[in-house]
Amino acid sequence: MKTLFLFLFVAFNSTALYSQCILSIRGKVNDVDAKSMLEGATVLLIETKHSVVTDKEGKFIISGLCPGDYTIRISHADCQSQDVHFHLKEDVFKDIDLPHAENILKGVVVVGAATMRAEGISAELRGKELASTRGLTLGESLQKINGVTVLQTGNNIYKPIIQGLHSSRVLILNNGIRQEGQQWGSEHAPEIDPYIANRLTVIKGAASIRYGGDAIGGVILVEPRLLQYNRQISGEVNLATFSNNRQGVLSVMTEGAFEKKGTTAWRLQGSVKRGGNARTPDYWMKNSGVEEFNMSATAGWRKEKKGVEFFYSVFNSKIGIFIGSHLGNLTDLENVIQAKQPPEYIRDADFSYLIERPYQSVQHHLLKLKLYTEEKNKNRLSVTMSSQLNIRKEYDVTRSSATIIPQLQMNLLTNMADLVWEHFSNQKFKGSVGLNGMHQINYINYRYFIPNYQSVDLGIWIAEKYQLKSWQFEVGLRYDHKNRFGITDNDAAPNDVLMGNSFLPGKPYGSKGFSGFSGTGVAAYKLSDHLRISMTTSTAWRSPQVNELFSNGLHHGAARIERGDVALSPERAWSIMGTLLFNTEKLEMDFGFYNKQINGFIYLNPTYPPLLTIRGAFPTFNYAQTDASLSGADFSMAYLFGSHVKSHLKGSILRAYNQHAKTWLIQMPADRFEGQLEYLFVDGKKLKQSSVQFGLQHVTTQKRIPPTGNIKITSPTGIVSMASDYMAPPPAYSLINFEANTSVVVNKRMVGLIFSVTNLLNTSYRDYMNSFRYFCLDRGRNISLKAKISL
Amino acid sequence: MKIQKAILPVVLFLVLIISSCKKDPANPNDGELITTVKVEFTENVSGVKESFEFRDLDGEGGNAPSEFDEISLSANKSYTCEVYLLNESVTPVDDITLEIEAEADDHQFYYTPSFSTLTISDLNEDSNNLSLGTESTWTTGAASNGNINITLKHKPGAKASGDPISKGDTDISIDFKVKIQ
Repeated sequence: MKTLFLFLFVAFNSTALYSQCILSIRGKVNDVDAKSMLEGATVLLIETKHSVVTDKEGKFIISGLCPGDYTIRISHADCQSQDVHFHLKEDVFKDIDLPHAENILKGVVVVGAATMRAEGISAELRGKELASTRGLTLGESLQKINGVTVLQTGNNIYKPIIQGLHSSRVLILNNGIRQEGQQWGSEHAPEIDPYIANRLTVIKGAASIRYGGDAIGGVILVEPRLLQYNRQISGEVNLATFSNNRQGVLSVMTEGAFEKKGTTAWRLQGSVKRGGNARTPDYWMKNSGVEEFNMSATAGWRKEKKGVEFFYSVFNSKIGIFIGSHLGNLTDLENVIQAKQPPEYIRDADFSYLIERPYQSVQHHLLKLKLYTEEKNKNRLSVTMSSQLNIRKEYDVTRSSATIIPQLQMNLLTNMADLVWEHFSNQKFKGSVGLNGMHQINYINYRYFIPNYQSVDLGIWIAEKYQLKSWQFEVGLRYDHKNRFGITDNDAAPNDVLMGNSFLPGKPYGSKGFSGFSGTGVAAYKLSDHLRISMTTSTAWRSPQVNELFSNGLHHGAARIERGDVALSPERAWSIMGTLLFNTEKLEMDFGFYNKQINGFIYLNPTYPPLLTIRGAFPTFNYAQTDASLSGADFSMAYLFGSHVKSHLKGSILRAYNQHAKTWLIQMPADRFEGQLEYLFVDGKKLKQSSVQFGLQHVTTQKRIPPTGNIKITSPTGIVSMASDYMAPPPAYSLINFEANTSVVVNKRMVGLIFSVTNLLNTSYRDYMNSFRYFCLDRGRNISLKAKISL
Repeated sequence: MKIQKAILPVVLFLVLIISSCKKDPANPNDGELITTVKVEFTENVSGVKESFEFRDLDGEGGNAPSEFDEISLSANKSYTCEVYLLNESVTPVDDITLEIEAEADDHQFYYTPSFSTLTISDLNEDSNNLSLGTESTWTTGAASNGNINITLKHKPGAKASGDPISKGDTDISIDFKVKIQ
């Protein structure tokens, strides 16, 4: 009691001492994308409504303040505004980084992008949050964004799921270019180095008017920061280590301008990664290592009214596939499911960095050239050309140890050209018009799974935006024509037989053409400074992919036979989305709901009996179409208790219904909820921006699956039933995570440190969206340490 | 001028890509395909030979097996059984049995009859005296019908004594119908 009194006395005294209102907040505002000092930004002290404007060097000062809690809002015409919170007890100086506004960074990428970003349909990962995902794959990083879940194949392959949709229904833009790999495969991860990005943005459910209407699920933008034309050489080194699979990641970036007030700027970046076997709480996952080597180069030249940008990146990865997932046939699968764990000789394996068969080796090149000419703040005409080469090799376990070749190789070459005219005729009316062309060649080697083909896609689009007082409207329209031709199986004699059809050799599968419109309309209304609402309607279509049309064979990664259907027609989606955004100084709420009707939804339907082969029966799936309805909600809420404690609550709910079968759709993410409690420390003499954070993540069990199906299941007691899956969805699980952040200045260099533990209690669990749930547990505790050093 | 300089690497890159896409035909025969399982029986007294086959020329998926014999044996006899694995999609036919025998330490055949009038014994062994099973003795009882499952397991580096059939990867697993008459 005595100590308490003493404490109160000191506290009172010190308050009294400082309550003379002589404190100041000083700061410097930077444009984080352009990495330049921001002149003319408005700094508003919300509590007193007092505002100042930054000077030439981006600096500002607000003085004559009493001790207490303050929030400043920094805004600038070229940038997104940002709020910064202070607990003031002495003078502070703060560097504030503002992200660059959308239309200048990359035009109206997706219709509504700018609006939606403000209206909650889109969400982004940058700064501190992005830093805490460093060292993870792109898919894993995106999981941090509310409403994004992942489709997982073991511990190295993650594909983002938006509103229940993934693979070819989610478009990824790597530095403004549509990523073109073999996206159709559920075990084919995006071939992108996340270290390229300064920001990851997810736009949920909107049809991408600019890049193609086939992104029914959503669009992911992987954006590097803008080149710096007026800075000397600088750089950044990132290090990340992980305990679970003893993984190390190193990334180095250096950039600069050739002259001081430059017209030419450049950047070089590279990263290497190596990890070994991952560990579940009970055993090592044999052969689950990963190796990656990536690099990129960017160069730019600009004059007052024109400019050129060049970008090249190469991505190389070698991914070990857990040996326990390699199955001979249906009996092997049933055995491993009944045993509830991998066989003993696999569980007995030790840690190793060695990657043996089965593994994937993937290389992806991207080359981009952009030319533009502009009248400042009026018009801008740009031409972008790009070329991508994706080489995917899959090495299966072979009977003969002498085999060195892959069992499957696919080479995909994509060339694209875009012409875009953006007009900013006045503040109220903005828009853009464009043409896209794309040519693709797919070329296969070894085992047949999908055919060789060529495709030509042409698109024309327009997107306009209109602002009227508190209202904002956006409309976009697009027409696409896609033609697939030259579809062959490489004329290898056994393959015509293999396809099981009677087409003539040479041109066995003819050609396929599809065309259609897509469109989006957005209306947003600002009710007050605290409350905004928006409504989006859109329609989009996706043509059947070659694997859906023509695949026929054993899909080794999935240990099943997949058969395409040449008669499939395009799927058409109609979506409606609403968002509500509420924020005050203490409370921030973001609520989004959606309903999507997809007619002709293409999915893999298990068939019975399983196909008989020389290796026994195999699970067999045929591509089929149905009408599907997907409805859901994503919400997030943040509340500030006092000045140091911040809480965060978020959740995602999805209901996906198969209207033909009158039952739930299979393989959809279960509902998930997450809560976080964060403590923010006052900046010390040495340690700045320190915080600790506990998180609890809860994933429910997926009960909404078709109650019966084509799969014969024999229970351990011998009861035979027909089910929709080989194994019932795994039970619900909760994970506890911990993270501590700080920044320290060492030799005048800023070093950011992050210590984190995921799955703190080493909980055993399986996730329904991990295709390895049949074979093994998910990863156990993972302790990581990350450092970011600015040079 | 600057633009021309920038276009040059694009052109070079395209040339590189196109030249790297040379048109080799796809080769589905990567030495892994087994199209045919042949079981050959020699009656131990008379020396009369008979053989039965499973044949699926296009491998897993695609067309159904083109030949799937019923194994027909005489009652109350003893047979020596030899099993052959072939790839008949190529000329000359590839005898994969040789490869199995060369890597006998990693392979094991299992014979599981569904009925009691057929017993299988005396499976041959690999160099470590572990069961291999490319050769075996089949003893028949009274006239009856049933099935036999023939499975070949591949377990590189993990083969041990008394392995259950569930261990390892399945290279072959076929249920032949059997008629004893």
